[in-house]
Amino acid sequence: MTIPPAVEVHDLTRVFESRKGFLFGEHTRTEALKGVDLTVEQGSIFGLLGPNGAGKTTLVKILSTLLLPSGGRAAVLGHDVTTDAEWLRPRIGLVLGGERGLYNRINARDNLRYFADLYGIPGSEREERIRAVLQRVGLTESADRRVEEYSRGMKQKLHIARGILHRPQMLFLDEPTIGLDPKSARETRKLVRSLIADGVTIFLTTHYMFEAEELCPELAVMSKGRIVARDTIPKLRQLVGGDRTLEAEAYGFEDAEVDALRRLPGVSKLVSEEYGPRTRLTLRLQSLETTPGDVSATLPGHSELTVRERRTSLEDVYLDLVEEEAQ
Amino acid sequence: MAHVTPTVSRSRATSASLRLSVLMFLADPQWLIPSMIAPVMFGLVAFELFRGAGHYYLTYAILGAGMMSMWGQTLYGSGWAIGQDREFGTLEPTIGAPTPYLYIVFGRVLWNVISGLIGGAIVYVVVLVAAGTPPPVANPLGFVVLFVFVMLTLASVGVVFTAAWVYTRYAGFIQNVGEFAFYVGTGCMFPIVILPFWTNPIGLFFPPTWALDALRYLSIPGYVGFSWGFWWDVLGAVATTLAYLAVAGTIFHRVERHVLASGDLSWY
Repeated sequence: MTIPPAVEVHDLTRVFESRKGFLFGEHTRTEALKGVDLTVEQGSIFGLLGPNGAGKTTLVKILSTLLLPSGGRAAVLGHDVTTDAEWLRPRIGLVLGGERGLYNRINARDNLRYFADLYGIPGSEREERIRAVLQRVGLTESADRRVEEYSRGMKQKLHIARGILHRPQMLFLDEPTIGLDPKSARETRKLVRSLIADGVTIFLTTHYMFEAEELCPELAVMSKGRIVARDTIPKLRQLVGGDRTLEAEAYGFEDAEVDALRRLPGVSKLVSEEYGPRTRLTLRLQSLETTPGDVSATLPGHSELTVRERRTSLEDVYLDLVEEEAQ
Repeated sequence: MAHVTPTVSRSRATSASLRLSVLMFLADPQWLIPSMIAPVMFGLVAFELFRGAGHYYLTYAILGAGMMSMWGQTLYGSGWAIGQDREFGTLEPTIGAPTPYLYIVFGRVLWNVISGLIGGAIVYVVVLVAAGTPPPVANPLGFVVLFVFVMLTLASVGVVFTAAWVYTRYAGFIQNVGEFAFYVGTGCMFPIVILPFWTNPIGLFFPPTWALDALRYLSIPGYVGFSWGFWWDVLGAVATTLAYLAVAGTIFHRVERHVLASGDLSWY
């Protein structure tokens, strides 16, 4: 028997229409998704990167049956999200996170009891299941405290506990570490890794590059409602011009100097950015031929010139791709 | 972690929702006003209004004030519970759960019916203490049976009105405007037969109007309500209640579809 993809999306669109004002208000139309195509296999973690407003949450909400698409088709675990929502809901989990989404006036245990019942967790297993997830997310000690007394990180853990309580096959995590302090964020990533080890397929959205790099072997970059790239991180580096990056910074450069840099061996891309009075030239390199010394030699006469080499980061990839899409 | 797909019991979802409502009620003292303090006020005002009108009018007073209290709790409270879900951002994960939302709403309405009954009981005790004698009821057994049915009619309206809260975050506006009109229009405080004739057909759209008139026929000898009498009142109440429950059954599916299409589940 063939295993269906965890996520299969074809030409997916979503338009939000709203009216500002009660009677004769202004009508607004926003295209959040503009024909998304994406396939994600089961059994691993897939990352979706994108800036705010890229359409990540919209896509996650459609995939988790909380929003209907305007057009196209979306299937999760081989089942259509619009027609098979009843089949899908017990099998998927969603963690939207944030301050909202919890009953703040009651304690964590009662929050989980409520959702355990809504997900049909057998009564005989309920308390043990709740105890286990609370322990897993590190909330055992504070399980009987009102949620309104929780820190942001603790609330996030409770969101995750609720998302995994019914042992879903597939878990959607929408920016699970946003707003968390470094320690809580690290604990959350550790928890996510342990879920992957348990065989849960995870679909993670984030705009933290290091998080995507640390957790996701494969990812897609989304910008303005479209998937602009999708691959493994090394291949995405190649896509934006190479694994090596050289940066040259000084108080302005002549056009001729920039052209000379472009002609250096292995330079696949050159980006110029202004930082106050200084200019930074970023070179993506596909080979090892050009060294920082070559760059310095090409730019003589700049007393304040600094040249440094580094590995092309996922952030570079992301910014290049999002910038290209914007242009 | 083994993935086992559970079977969702609808009655369990309803009881979970009921339990949550109780916990939220106990955690938020602002509800003391409509559920505990308002019934005392309603009871005292009704007693003063009807104290010189005869022995059975004490029962009349209790019914009027008690119904006002219960009506407010059942209708207003049920809708408000969903409004709170919007405010807390919990409507989204609740709708995303495998249980049909209608059964979760049943739990909320059930609690509000119970809390309405507590309000009714408070009114009874207030009038009892104020009058110094138990209010007479012509047919106690029939009264109890019909009283429970009146609660069911209130709940059926509550479920339908709750759909409005799921449908739009502006439902509170409609409910605030409508609450007192419903008090009068359904004959909670006094029979609608004393209102101008043109208002009666509006009141007849609501099951409690019929059920309350029947309850007064049963408990107050010589009561004259709608000219068609007790049994037609009962029949009208049963028919309109069934109609409301049928509407609730279909409306919730459509409302759920609407909010998934509009994408405003998390707005408040």
